[in-house]
Amino acid sequence: MEIKNIKSTNIPAFFDQLIQSGKVVIAPVLKKSGKVFFESVKSYSQVATDYIQTGFSAKSVVFPKVEELFSFVKNEDDIEITNNLQNIPETIVWGLRPCDASAFDYLVEFFLRENPDTYFAARKEKTTLIAVSCAKADDACFCTSVGLNPGSTAGSDILLTLMGEDVYVEVNTEKGKAAVETSAALFTPSEEKSKEEYLAKLTAKFSIDEIKERIKNAYESAEWKHESMGCFGCGACAFACPTCTCFNIEDEGTQNSGKRLRCWDACGFGQFTKHASGHNPRTNQTERRRQRLMHKFKYSVENLGIVSCVGCGRCIRVCPAHLNIFENILSVTK
Amino acid sequence: MKNLQNKVAELFENGTINLMIGFKNSINKLPVPCFIEKAEQIEQLIFTPECKGNLAVYLHKPEVKQAKKVGILANVATLRSIVQLTSENQLGDIEKTIITINAQNEILVFDKMEDVEAYVQANFPTYTDEDKKLLEQLSNMTREERWQFWTEQFSACVKCYACRAVCPMCYCPQCTVECNQPQWIKVSSETTGNLEWHTMRAMHLAGRCINCGECGRICPVGIPVHLLTAKMNQDIEAEFGSKTGFSCQSGYALNTFKPEDKEQFIK
Repeated sequence: MEIKNIKSTNIPAFFDQLIQSGKVVIAPVLKKSGKVFFESVKSYSQVATDYIQTGFSAKSVVFPKVEELFSFVKNEDDIEITNNLQNIPETIVWGLRPCDASAFDYLVEFFLRENPDTYFAARKEKTTLIAVSCAKADDACFCTSVGLNPGSTAGSDILLTLMGEDVYVEVNTEKGKAAVETSAALFTPSEEKSKEEYLAKLTAKFSIDEIKERIKNAYESAEWKHESMGCFGCGACAFACPTCTCFNIEDEGTQNSGKRLRCWDACGFGQFTKHASGHNPRTNQTERRRQRLMHKFKYSVENLGIVSCVGCGRCIRVCPAHLNIFENILSVTK
Repeated sequence: MKNLQNKVAELFENGTINLMIGFKNSINKLPVPCFIEKAEQIEQLIFTPECKGNLAVYLHKPEVKQAKKVGILANVATLRSIVQLTSENQLGDIEKTIITINAQNEILVFDKMEDVEAYVQANFPTYTDEDKKLLEQLSNMTREERWQFWTEQFSACVKCYACRAVCPMCYCPQCTVECNQPQWIKVSSETTGNLEWHTMRAMHLAGRCINCGECGRICPVGIPVHLLTAKMNQDIEAEFGSKTGFSCQSGYALNTFKPEDKEQFIK
């Protein structure tokens, strides 16, 4: 890892240089609705700087809400199949929070560990993550409860931390180095400094080690029913979540031409587990909510060795029923 | 609040209810739904003007129906939903105790639906100023501008179906979007399919939506989706003279036939 320094007044120049380099740059943008979302931008002037968290995570860069796996056209004597793998652009994600960046570590494990997913691999390889530490947090944030903190470098290629007039630049990977080299003259070497006083203060809601132990016996907890009462069974939490990876394969088109798509899906949807026979093993919302939470804190630990909740708090902010994941987890592991 | 909590405690004690759906404070800015099953949970119960959520949607939930005797703390939007759902014969299988607090700060426990109806009619809401302004803006647009507006809005939709999930009037056990033989509406989320989904939902809610605005309020990407059904309601009211969530007998405009209807084809 290399440490550098850049004047905060030079950040727009660095940013615009990244755009000049011909890459697609995705950054937080303030929308008319008053919410901040990641969007492709053309200049630093479009970038939102005063936000705690974006409405949705940056996972769509590597796992789009709809991914075309291939398309086909039936000709007279053959079928032509094409995919877009060659056209995936080099992309930079700017301004994602450390929690989101660390979510990419989980996504890599999920999509690439056993049967590597070609589409995810191609997108991930072309993506550079430039994260920005959090100087502010809100009541929904709980990264410090899941082993992260507002200045974690996990997952990011570069982490920027604003320190008054200077920006402390942690260059964590080769991709990060390449991004810095686009504007090498703007950066000066820096010694290692403590980021502490520039980071949001966030008291942990629970000890993750304790929760990991306790949740092993939580499956039968009577509290699931009470904690899931409010759940409507929509997909808002799963779609906003940086680590939810459920998808559904859909074919669209006619017998002569069409495409196969991978679309976001959610374990909270009633039909998610419905079998072709009509049988549905998860018959109610209590079981579906339990699945989502157990997956984050138990199943992903068993399968991949990672707690797949990064504490970004999006599910709490978007839930129409205002369900609170850390309150739920505390309750079922009592 | 203490009076309300005492009243609810009394309803639990005398066996009138065994589940209370109400509001509590939380880390969110607005009060959130709460479900009271035990005496010790009663102290979290609140009811303030900020309790804007529409709790009627929970009356469809299997876990709530299982409780059999359900108390519900209702604002006017919730009461209107209950009236509308009653007129659509949807609440027959649940024994409900409906409670509200009126402008004089009195706790009202409704004995019969006629009383709910009378209360709703006496406290019938109008559109909020903000919605009125937005609806007017939309009405003043040309067709092309309106198309542009909604196309832009719906390009952001991710089809999480939160709008459908929070809606007390969206109670179909299987929604059209979940039918795949044939597939009426695409599963994938892209602008045209998203438009199809929201248009279909608006048509199904025409003259049934009670304008609580919950779908627009909770949309995770901030689409003012409630304006679609609000506009449909304005049109229905102008064409058929019927108000939604106003009477338990009214049914809904698009599947009710009256001798005085303007259309000739049915006569």
